[in-house]
Amino acid sequence: MSEETKTDEHVAFMSQMVNLDYKIVTSPVHRHFDEQMREGRIVGHKCPSCGLVYVPPKGFCPRCSVITNEDHEVEVKDTATVTSFTVVTPIQYQGQKERDEYVLANLLLDGADSSIGQQRIEGIPHDEVRMGMRVKAIWATPDERTEEGGGMRGWGLTSAVKHWEPSGEPDAPREQYQEHVL
Amino acid sequence: MLPMTDIAIVGYAQSPPTFGVQETETQMLFPAVNEALARANLTRADIGFMCSASCDYLSGAPFAFVQTLEVTGAWPPISESHVEMDGAWALYEAWVRLHHGDIDTAMVFASGITSRCDWREVSALQLDPYYLMPLWVDDISLAALQANALIESRKATERNFAEIAARIRGGDADEFLKEPYVVEPLRAHDTPTMSDGGAAIVLAVGDRARELCERPAWIAGIDHRSEAHYPGVRDLTISDAARIAGQQSGVGKGPIEVAELAAQFSHEELVLREALGLTDGTVVSPSGGALAANPVIATGLVRIGEAANQIIDGGRKRTLGHASAGPCLQQNLVCVLEGE
Repeated sequence: MSEETKTDEHVAFMSQMVNLDYKIVTSPVHRHFDEQMREGRIVGHKCPSCGLVYVPPKGFCPRCSVITNEDHEVEVKDTATVTSFTVVTPIQYQGQKERDEYVLANLLLDGADSSIGQQRIEGIPHDEVRMGMRVKAIWATPDERTEEGGGMRGWGLTSAVKHWEPSGEPDAPREQYQEHVL
Repeated sequence: MLPMTDIAIVGYAQSPPTFGVQETETQMLFPAVNEALARANLTRADIGFMCSASCDYLSGAPFAFVQTLEVTGAWPPISESHVEMDGAWALYEAWVRLHHGDIDTAMVFASGITSRCDWREVSALQLDPYYLMPLWVDDISLAALQANALIESRKATERNFAEIAARIRGGDADEFLKEPYVVEPLRAHDTPTMSDGGAAIVLAVGDRARELCERPAWIAGIDHRSEAHYPGVRDLTISDAARIAGQQSGVGKGPIEVAELAAQFSHEELVLREALGLTDGTVVSPSGGALAANPVIATGLVRIGEAANQIIDGGRKRTLGHASAGPCLQQNLVCVLEGE
């Protein structure tokens, strides 16, 4: 509110703090995915109808409307291609832990047909991050892999993968990832 | 008035109401959507328009409805819309859309998971932020005001409420009356059993409906009305909104064999019976209504679906489904269904 509004003697202001608590339930499909992540395996579901591999698995194929389960589980690799990225400049609000610019990328994991968002890229100057860049997962040590960050809304790879770094491979050609650019 | 197009419900299914569902909302909806389509002998690709209903305040996430869209198999891209209301209003939008005349089928689906939030808190926050919300008055407290108004005007007694609850839940009104109040004069049996659930309805036009369903439930009339915004200016013992919606949808044009009412609280059934002019000849809420299972957002669509099934499977000739939203039956939708 502006200073003028505050000093207007005819208007009284009150603050109304609102707090709502929610229970976040991790579905059995996501729970299993999280468990596998803690074991160091990235798994997805392969649709028995169209063959597309979803990571993390959803328990169904959204294109074919076919239900999938652990019978359709496949393991994918911990190497990936950057399909798009953002250099994030953190705004300082209450609770913000980030202070410096960082990079979040959308990744297409080798063996998966769905890209995975919000993945942190490290080990490279920010102005050198590019679409098509090849990266590899940097895993947390087994005792660092907690349940935190798992299963929430179907994105993320839990705390098991700390971040991703360039793998040193040549960039992927555009045809390999252009359908996955967000 | 819209030009009359013959539109019927040709398929309906709901997921079994539960509390504490473990699957995602999308997974919960899948069986209901699959079954509703199967009953109409249609696939997703056949549907001309989809309309969904969900509420971000139930799951506590913005755009939560985007994930439930995955049940539609939205590839290639589809024509769809969404309401942040009970699914009955999504059905109304689909009904309007079908009147455009360029498509002949539509599907409506709705879902709500109430087990992941404190619904009483969420319902308090739905109210206007200036006058009501700061009072932190929740849905049960507001319903209790309406129940009290009925008692004070001598239109009803706590025994009347208990008798309605006993009919719907099974049990003995005398025993119910020995229970403590939740918010006076309402006892636990008078308040809805909160649920997680989803439902889907398939609509079709004219001869297409006859082709898809042996006995379609034709929408003879549908209308929705709202009371004044502020409960304090209303006579809570009546519902003008339900009465007008009932008149506009033609409830009184013939006998109603079954009325599925979204009476979340036992006393609301009394208000709705009077507003809709229902007589003892009408069977009210044989499914249990909104009192026995209240998967918020799906509750009203379930009522219309259950009323439709009374025609499709049950061989009835004339039924109605009712939906409501807001405090003390603030908004009311009435859908009159007929068999041929």
